[in-house]
Amino acid sequence: MSSDSPLDLLKLNLDEKVYVKLRGARELTGTLQAFDSHCNIVLSDAVETIYELVENELKSTKREAEMIFVRGDTVTLVTTPSDQ
Amino acid sequence: MSFFGFDSSGPKKGRRSGRSKDEKGGQPLDFDETYQGFGEHAREEDDYLNSETFGDAADVGTDFDFGYGASEYAAPTASHDAYVDHSRSYASAATSGPAVAAVPFGQPAQAVEEHLDFTPMESLWTNQPVHQLQQPQFVSMEEIERQQQQQQQQRQMGMLPQQHAYMSMPPPQHIATMGYGFPGQPFVSGAPQMTGAPQFQDRNVDFGVQAVPPPPPQSVGPRPMSSSDMPPMQYQQMSPGFEQVGQQQSHVPVPAPVQANKISEPHHAPQQVFSSSTAPSALSPVVHQAQTQTSPVIEATMSPKRPSQQPLSPHGNYRRGTSPRVNQGPPYYQSMNEPFAKGTRRNSMRKPQEHLSEEDWKRLQVRQAKVDKILKHSGVMTPRDKDFITRYQLSQIVTDDPYNEDFYFQVYKIIQRGGVVGESNKGLIARAYLEHSGHRLGGRYKRADVALQRMQSQVEKAVTVAKERPQKNKEISEASKEGVLGKISASMNSKAPRRQLQIPTKMEESDETTSSAIDDVAQCLQGVDISTSSSKLRRRSSYALRSLDQSAVLTRSGGRKFVLSLIETVYSEVLELEAQLRSGKTIDSSGLWEALHIFDDAFEVSPFISILSFDKGVKIMPRIINFLGKEQKLKLLSCFFSELSHLNIVVTSSYRTNPNPTGAQLRKIELFQSIFLKIIVSFLSSSAEFMEVMGLLLALVKNNNVSFITTSKIGLNLITVLISRAALIKQDVNRGSILSSSEISSWNEIYDKLFTALETRLSLIFPPSEYTQKIVSITNPQPAPSVPGTPLAATFTKPSFYDSSYIWQFLASLALSGKLNHQRIIIDEVRDEIFGTISKAEEFTKSAAVEDQPMALYQRDKLYQDLNLFLNVMGLVARDGEISELK
Repeated sequence: MSSDSPLDLLKLNLDEKVYVKLRGARELTGTLQAFDSHCNIVLSDAVETIYELVENELKSTKREAEMIFVRGDTVTLVTTPSDQ
Repeated sequence: MSFFGFDSSGPKKGRRSGRSKDEKGGQPLDFDETYQGFGEHAREEDDYLNSETFGDAADVGTDFDFGYGASEYAAPTASHDAYVDHSRSYASAATSGPAVAAVPFGQPAQAVEEHLDFTPMESLWTNQPVHQLQQPQFVSMEEIERQQQQQQQQRQMGMLPQQHAYMSMPPPQHIATMGYGFPGQPFVSGAPQMTGAPQFQDRNVDFGVQAVPPPPPQSVGPRPMSSSDMPPMQYQQMSPGFEQVGQQQSHVPVPAPVQANKISEPHHAPQQVFSSSTAPSALSPVVHQAQTQTSPVIEATMSPKRPSQQPLSPHGNYRRGTSPRVNQGPPYYQSMNEPFAKGTRRNSMRKPQEHLSEEDWKRLQVRQAKVDKILKHSGVMTPRDKDFITRYQLSQIVTDDPYNEDFYFQVYKIIQRGGVVGESNKGLIARAYLEHSGHRLGGRYKRADVALQRMQSQVEKAVTVAKERPQKNKEISEASKEGVLGKISASMNSKAPRRQLQIPTKMEESDETTSSAIDDVAQCLQGVDISTSSSKLRRRSSYALRSLDQSAVLTRSGGRKFVLSLIETVYSEVLELEAQLRSGKTIDSSGLWEALHIFDDAFEVSPFISILSFDKGVKIMPRIINFLGKEQKLKLLSCFFSELSHLNIVVTSSYRTNPNPTGAQLRKIELFQSIFLKIIVSFLSSSAEFMEVMGLLLALVKNNNVSFITTSKIGLNLITVLISRAALIKQDVNRGSILSSSEISSWNEIYDKLFTALETRLSLIFPPSEYTQKIVSITNPQPAPSVPGTPLAATFTKPSFYDSSYIWQFLASLALSGKLNHQRIIIDEVRDEIFGTISKAEEFTKSAAVEDQPMALYQRDKLYQDLNLFLNVMGLVARDGEISELK
């Protein structure tokens, strides 16, 4: 199979765990369910981590979602999670 | 019988309310109350005259007795109240007024009444003790004749007078008689149905008896119609016609013999009225007579009763017998009290009863009561019905999977044992339910492991067959008696008839050499080479610790990206093929086969194995299998078994390589079991030949470290599937065609190989307790300390319990195929585990808290069940902490 376009690489990871970095110091880890050419992404069993700087201290809060839609314009990076 | 202690015998409340109403009097029957308000029916609007129609005392109760009504006998003597209390039969319900009023006849009868605007007489409708008192009052023959004459005159007078007569006479009579008459149609044929002898005899009164119907032929005419064609649903048939009939009768007398069966009683009452006190105008009795007579066969059909009666009486005879008797005109009361034994022909027995002495009378009555008691429920069901129910019950007894199929009973048992009141009981129910039905957190019986269940049943089947084996041997030994008992043909002849053609199997020499047997197997696999160089090449690197590293395996099979892209290709191929299938094109699955890269020597580990390490790769498998031919499937499986050690899922499910499984990994294992294991099981059980199973087993044994594979749950499952299937085929073969000696020898050889690989390491298949505890804690996460206010969470403390049944299944199938010395070795090696399991089982019940007892008992039974699966193979059974011989 040819992996001509970058999004084909994304396709390989369907139904696999992916790590998605978003604008606004957020990141998501979840199972890739779907994506499109705009890099809109649907993740299942996703964990979102939000980083905040409060009085010069980095704080992170986590949120979980069973199924989540991520609008493509916030996505900066998609890769496999570091623990795999 | 009902579960959960629900009293199905009938609502008492309904009756009570009925009675209270009784006391209030004058209120219509409330449907909702008689039925305890089940079903929210709109109130029927036409009920308001019911009390008049049926009398105030109408109270049917809701507990109908479908048997032979006992109440009937008590009724005449008992007070009315007592009567009401009696459990009622349909028969009695119909015979006595109130009951008739109650349900089925309500509407029509009322309609009739409305039309005629009569004043109803309560006495008519109630079951009064009157009859006996009235007994001596009979109508003499002369009287009857006179009545007849009058009546004939009356008839000649035409409709109008008749109607007059109608009005003047006590109307309920009419209603009673008319209500059930239905001018000449099914009715007539329905009449014979009264033939129901016992019932008939004791209470039905022959109305026709009193007056000879004017046109004699008619009296005979309709009657001979056979009763057999009488449809059982008389009620329904009749009711619609009521109103009509009523009218019709009042105007146009329909000459027909009157056969009042159930109505007899109502009929008596007016009679009494006439004769004793109220307005016995000459006209009214006559009219009455006319009426009864003219109405066609009067009959309250008691459909529920009938079946019971039928066998008792010969209808035809009876019918014909009665009609002549009609003319003799015995008074009607008598039949009411006529105490005939069952089955006697009524006409023959019917003597003038009025001469009975008081004692005779009583005696007969007592006797009748006895007979009646005996007959109460007789014949309610036909032999066919009984047969049906028996068969049904039998079919229910036999089940492969009692825990799931007797679900309600299991839950019920647990609840019963618990016996705890109040809330905790609810908890018990919930827990029991979840235990059995399975749920997201992982009940004991997850639907997911259907494949496992199948495997289980396969093993169990094999065990059962093995248990039967010794008996068979006995059979064979009987052949030694030949000569003593004449020539005994070998008992196996029928099962294995002598072959006409004896084709010499060319593999005779394979008995000696190990390798030739294996070659034989390899040959049978038709080109699926097991011992070829390529697989040997791979085997060299087969079990290295490198396999444990998932990424290393992936690298050796082309890399993660390559495998992922393979999966994508496979998906698109499958989609393409499915589209072709839908559009009816011919299917070419070669592209798919290519994509699977089975036996692709370019890689150290077959990419196919790596495909299976991804969830999506496993999920597509059933759809792939659909498009593969048998040979391809066989190749695929033999590749799979050859490289089992590389399989990611085996590695993760082994306690040695993955001592700390995560929840995600357990889910993966489960997924694999439910999908791929299922494929294998169904393939093996449906289409695999013995030698093919052998080939797969050989592929597994030769190319893998069996001992390692047995430390993983999946690996053990897979081996179990193979050897139990082989054993089953072998046993089947014992019954049917005979395995060739080469087949048997190769099986023995392969088994020896397998056993050698496992020997001295058998105890290692039991995972250590730390591992099992981890699994338990993952699958059954301990609930956070819950607030007492949330009882549900509190009851969810799942039992810490590692399901080791798969291990016992493996041992069972291993022992099953082995010889005695094999079995001895197995027992020696796992002795500690056997006793460990027993003591654990006993501990469960001892240590468990009181409210956990049912659960502990269940767990204990489960442990024993698993253990016994293995022990049974060797003719042993573990029970209550001891091992004994299986009987």
